[in-house]
Amino acid sequence: MLSIEQLSHVYPNGMRALDRVNLEIPRGMFGLLGPNGAGKSTLMRTLATLQAPSEGRIRFGDIDVLAEPGRLRATLGFLPQDFGVYPRVSAYELLDHLAVLKGIAHAGQRRDTVASLLNKVNLWSVRNKAVAGFSGGMRQRFGIAQALVGDPALIIVDEPTAGLDPEESNRFLNLLAEIGENVVVILSTHIVGDVADLCPRMAVLANGRILLEGSPAELMAEMRGRIWRKTIDRAELATYQKSHEIISTRLFAGRTVIHVLANEKPASDFDVTEGGLEDVYFSTLSAMRRTAG
Amino acid sequence: MFTDIARFELRYQMRQPIFWVVILVVFVFAFATVALDQLDIGAGGNVLKNSPYAILQTHLVMSMFFMFVTTAFVANIVVRDEDTGFAPIIRATPVRKRDYLFGRFTGAFCAAAISFLAVPLGGLVGSMMPWIDPETLGPVPAGAYVFGYAILALPGLWLTATLFFAVATLTRSMMWTYVCVVALLIVYVIADVVLGRPHLETVAAMADPFGLSAYALATQYWTATERNSMVPALEGLLLWNRMLWFGAGVGLLFFAYAYFRPEGKARATARADGETTQDVPPPQASGPPSAPPIGRSAAAWAQLLCRTRFELMQVFRSPAFAVLLLLGLFNALAGLLLSDDLYGARLYPVTRRIIETLRSSFSLVPVVVAIYYAGELVWRERDRRIHEIVDATPAPDWILIVPKVVAIALALITMLVTSTLAGVALQLGSGFSEFEMAKYLGWYLLPKAVDWMLIAILAVALQSVAPTKYLGWGLMLLYLVLTLISAQIGLDHNLLLYGQSPSVPLSDMNGTGIAGIAAWWFRAYWLSFSVLLLVLAHVLWRRGSETRLAPRLMLLPQWLMKGAAGKIALASLLVFALLGSFIFLNTNVWNEYRDANESDRFSADLEKTLLRYERLPQPAVTDVKLELAIDPVKPSLITRGHYVLENKTASALRHVHLRWDRDTRVTRLNVENARLEKTYGKFNYQIFRFARDLAPGERALLSFETVRSQRGFKNSGNMNRIVGNGTFVDNTEFAPMVGMSRRGLLADRTKRRRYGLPPELRMHPLADIAARRRSYIETDIVNSDITVTTAADQIPIAPGSKVSDVVTAGRRTARFVSDAPVQNFFSIQSARYAVKTRNRKGVSLEVYYHPQHAWNVDRMLTALEAGLDYFQENFGPYQYRQARIVEFPAYDMFAQAFAGTMPYSESLGFITDLRDRSKIDYVTYVTAHELGHQWWAHQVVGANVAGATSLSETLAQYSAIMVMEKLYGPEKIRQFLKFELDAYLKARGREIVEEVPLMRVENQGYIHYRKGSLVMYLLRDQMGEAAVNRALRRLIDRFGARNPPYPTSLDLIAALRAEAKPEQQRMITDLFEKITLYDVRTVGAASRRRPDGRWDVAVTVLAKKFYADGQGQEREVPLVEHFDVGLFTEAPGSNTFGPEKVILLETRPLRSGQQVLRFVTDRAPAYAGADPYNKRIDRRSGDNLAQVVVR
Repeated sequence: MLSIEQLSHVYPNGMRALDRVNLEIPRGMFGLLGPNGAGKSTLMRTLATLQAPSEGRIRFGDIDVLAEPGRLRATLGFLPQDFGVYPRVSAYELLDHLAVLKGIAHAGQRRDTVASLLNKVNLWSVRNKAVAGFSGGMRQRFGIAQALVGDPALIIVDEPTAGLDPEESNRFLNLLAEIGENVVVILSTHIVGDVADLCPRMAVLANGRILLEGSPAELMAEMRGRIWRKTIDRAELATYQKSHEIISTRLFAGRTVIHVLANEKPASDFDVTEGGLEDVYFSTLSAMRRTAG
Repeated sequence: MFTDIARFELRYQMRQPIFWVVILVVFVFAFATVALDQLDIGAGGNVLKNSPYAILQTHLVMSMFFMFVTTAFVANIVVRDEDTGFAPIIRATPVRKRDYLFGRFTGAFCAAAISFLAVPLGGLVGSMMPWIDPETLGPVPAGAYVFGYAILALPGLWLTATLFFAVATLTRSMMWTYVCVVALLIVYVIADVVLGRPHLETVAAMADPFGLSAYALATQYWTATERNSMVPALEGLLLWNRMLWFGAGVGLLFFAYAYFRPEGKARATARADGETTQDVPPPQASGPPSAPPIGRSAAAWAQLLCRTRFELMQVFRSPAFAVLLLLGLFNALAGLLLSDDLYGARLYPVTRRIIETLRSSFSLVPVVVAIYYAGELVWRERDRRIHEIVDATPAPDWILIVPKVVAIALALITMLVTSTLAGVALQLGSGFSEFEMAKYLGWYLLPKAVDWMLIAILAVALQSVAPTKYLGWGLMLLYLVLTLISAQIGLDHNLLLYGQSPSVPLSDMNGTGIAGIAAWWFRAYWLSFSVLLLVLAHVLWRRGSETRLAPRLMLLPQWLMKGAAGKIALASLLVFALLGSFIFLNTNVWNEYRDANESDRFSADLEKTLLRYERLPQPAVTDVKLELAIDPVKPSLITRGHYVLENKTASALRHVHLRWDRDTRVTRLNVENARLEKTYGKFNYQIFRFARDLAPGERALLSFETVRSQRGFKNSGNMNRIVGNGTFVDNTEFAPMVGMSRRGLLADRTKRRRYGLPPELRMHPLADIAARRRSYIETDIVNSDITVTTAADQIPIAPGSKVSDVVTAGRRTARFVSDAPVQNFFSIQSARYAVKTRNRKGVSLEVYYHPQHAWNVDRMLTALEAGLDYFQENFGPYQYRQARIVEFPAYDMFAQAFAGTMPYSESLGFITDLRDRSKIDYVTYVTAHELGHQWWAHQVVGANVAGATSLSETLAQYSAIMVMEKLYGPEKIRQFLKFELDAYLKARGREIVEEVPLMRVENQGYIHYRKGSLVMYLLRDQMGEAAVNRALRRLIDRFGARNPPYPTSLDLIAALRAEAKPEQQRMITDLFEKITLYDVRTVGAASRRRPDGRWDVAVTVLAKKFYADGQGQEREVPLVEHFDVGLFTEAPGSNTFGPEKVILLETRPLRSGQQVLRFVTDRAPAYAGADPYNKRIDRRSGDNLAQVVVR
């Protein structure tokens, strides 16, 4: 559905934010995972026609996105990573306004759309309150409401759960999952759990490059039997780091749990463990750092 | 801690680009005031470019405008941490509020103070530029730089810094702080006008936080010499003012400190979680959750409408708009309410005046609104970080841009309409119920709406390409500066600078004339260009995350090639080019284009080429026969004329020189028995040579035909003399001047030097016997026979008695023949006049006026009657059978006295509101003055040497004062003379050549009018009315026949001396032959009750007398003179003062130095003083009187 070919972007200061990215994204939720500064937002903005890449091609269905940004926008829903709102404007007014901009000219039609969306994101009861006064979660829900205006075929959500409490985050993701059945939804995040729960397909982006692509289940299956765990004292960490390929460390009850990637058991006191998507992610990143280093 | 914070803050501020931009801008400006001739603050004339006066003035003015800068520095301290989100981190540190706040403030203030150093530095560097005329530079006055910086400017900076620091602390908002800055500026301007009346000058001096008024008061009567050499003493009002405002600054700083809460302001945006709206049940989520968007073109209108409404709401709901609107309105209304005519009299609020006031005083605020909101609206999506959402919608770019322009335009139109309503309300309030909506619409609303719209579009276009909002604002500021200096930088053709059009004069009689039409062509031209700008803004619109211009520019051609944008751009370009060509055809092909300096250049060339003929003896004109055909519509004037030339000199003449106005086309020209020998085509000047020399007494006939007309319109200086209604031309515009004269030559020293002329072109000296053969009007005395044809519905007027007046074939023809010889300098007028006449002892008094302006017609007729009676009785008979006052359009503002005919501008006298009887009757004064000229100029006319105008203008002033005194009494005259004294003392400091004694006045208004009034009134006071009038009558008897040689000021002085007593001779010397100034001060007055119930009064008076030279250098001379000394129960000049308040008024001798005068009175005096009525010229007229202390 959405195909990205050889997409590169170099900022004026020389930073290469995207480096020959190739992706084929089908209908459904697609998770784009990556650490801060990986180029996720650049990619999201480029897909949302907000900036032109240095080179590469993007097609969505029969739309050449770079040549005809207007056509894509007509069927696009975009929730930026960070957005503000106009002051002194209520949720209803603002959503109504954005609906006009998205081309819903007929007043009655727009009334229905706005009402049903506000209802859907559970903001109907506060529709006459200024959006500027909303809490983070409410504002994020408003964001998804505006992204859904006009039945978009492509929805791009950039780091939507950052800053939300688990409950809000959950509610939000459920909302996304509901929509993601028939259209292309790209969810960019650095929270592994979001992708694991929701996305049938995913990719890992770091340093502007796609490091990994596939379905979370397959990727986890590939790691099966190669992840080893040990609980150590914090003071020992440095020693282990020298001798083993540690992909993640986590504190648990005051001690440090390390995961090591190895084909065979590194030492007798390591236990094999069921790898999660997190291990996939971290092992990919640490592999990249090693090559880079 | 404190110093560390201050130092950190200073370093921080100095790293900001604004710091360096400010230094650059301020430096360039201060540099330019000295280095460029076009820009002067305080300098000019005889005041040197780097004089202490100019330097101090520059410091003061800059310190005022610097408030924008200091505010940026200090408000930033408060607002910065909140805006950047750094505040919580600061709050978590243990820094004390005192160190934090004062440290930062100190750092920021130092940054402001350092950047202000660019002012003295710029001025200093500017004065070193090699191209500056060395005559306009003096030695470097180091002391003035220090005084200007430390004493004058720094307290001003300190005050604005503390004030806006406090405001920022209170509001926590940059925008509100700047709104307050603009408010202060406007209040300041208004206060300047309100407190600008003479009796409020002390209040004004204290109230002005920048010290401009105090400084102006301290130096108001300074002469050029003083301005070039002195810094005012730091004492009195100036000192108190500086201390007061420095102290106020300290107070404000502590106020800010007390108020400052490091926690920042409470979040105004309360969380909305808890509150819900329950009224409507949630709709059922039936059907599809969201409708698919419909076709884009159908949506476009809805989007445009909705978006416009949205943008409008954003403007109208923002508090700044209401504040700015109110401020603008306040400013305009203040301008309307406070505008004074001359001598304190008010004018009727005719619509024309309301519009003129609105056009000027309501001009800044709307431009600020246009510029400010262009920045705000264009950048709003980005500033609010909603741009990624909006930009990702399918709405086309123009849907985002056009509503922003429309919103700004509607905001501006709202302001226009509001200001119009304010004008109408004001008219209603003063009982003026003629609503001329057509004038409001055509002269104000429509043109201004377009002009401001153009600015709004430019501002939007610049904002959409500028990389930041602030740079966009900066570019607009640059544009505004360009419009101000366009003439100096060669951009004065309105085709060259965006949004410019010719200035349009207004007249009730004739409307806007050709200039009004021309302005609309230019507006259409710039409107078509603005469409192009909009298209560019559209294709270069910042959409998405790319804010750089270059990538968008690269896409420009591609954008223009495809789609409607390119077509619209092409179409507007085509219209722009077509309109431009048509305008060019009008301004440069059909009419000669003249830039701003062209007329100066022409005058200079004329002088270089032809002034050498000035002294060539020429035949005199004795008879003038003219046929003029006025076409008010076309407009054109065709003149056929026959002049009789006569050799009145003692020797034969070979040549006759003819000079014509440069815009007069001579179509036929013939001098009897002479052939054209040489033509100076550029100067419209011909030399004819007689076939046989013209013998003394011999005559020759000169015949000519001229055309004066205009086709289409010009860039500037459109025809406003021959117009639809209110034609007013004088004979230099359609007939020849015989011989070369100095009419129209350059007088300004700097300009003269710039064009390579000797720096001064002075009048011929008083001793020049040969020059006495010609009068200073440089014309002859002629018999006239003038026939004027004009449109049938207009009344034509020419000098002389009307002998016929017929209408045939839609044209009205009237013939005027002179009863007595007239100066060959007269006017022809034609308009749709109303007429009112009276007959006074055989003289027909006539006022020709615009029917709307009937208010003062009777007053004028009464003044003519009173004048005629007084002048005939005291000076001699009136020589004509009629005295006419004829109104002309307000394109010019003066009154003039031709023979028996006095043209009066519609803005002068006709609309003066004299219902308040406490005001000076300015109409009677001007009328009597112009009537006085029928004796003083049309009977006795001075020779063409220095001092000539003392015989005409000064004596006309005297005549007018006498009429006024007969009608209104001496107290009114004293009120009048106060204005005259103040005007004289102020103007002499601005003299550009040399102040001369009245005897040698060289057509200097402040001497022959202002000082003349004072001199003549004192003379009359001392010598008596009868003696002065006897002397004047003798002048009429001797010189009334107007034959050469003409009289000089020496004849006037001799006549006066003949009537004066021996002890008055020195007074005449002082008044006429010297520049004399007095300083009389009553330093103390005390009274004590005597045992017999009467009062002993002792008045201590300090007296000095000075002679000044032409540059204002004073020399004290011994004083032994008689002065009025008075004791009063109330101060003369107060509203309730009257003769009954005078306890004692007698003359006492005064000498130089301090002396005590003693009196015994029956009543206790409250005020005492020497020269209590300010009859002498005294630079401190306020200290002549003192309150009496009871001992």
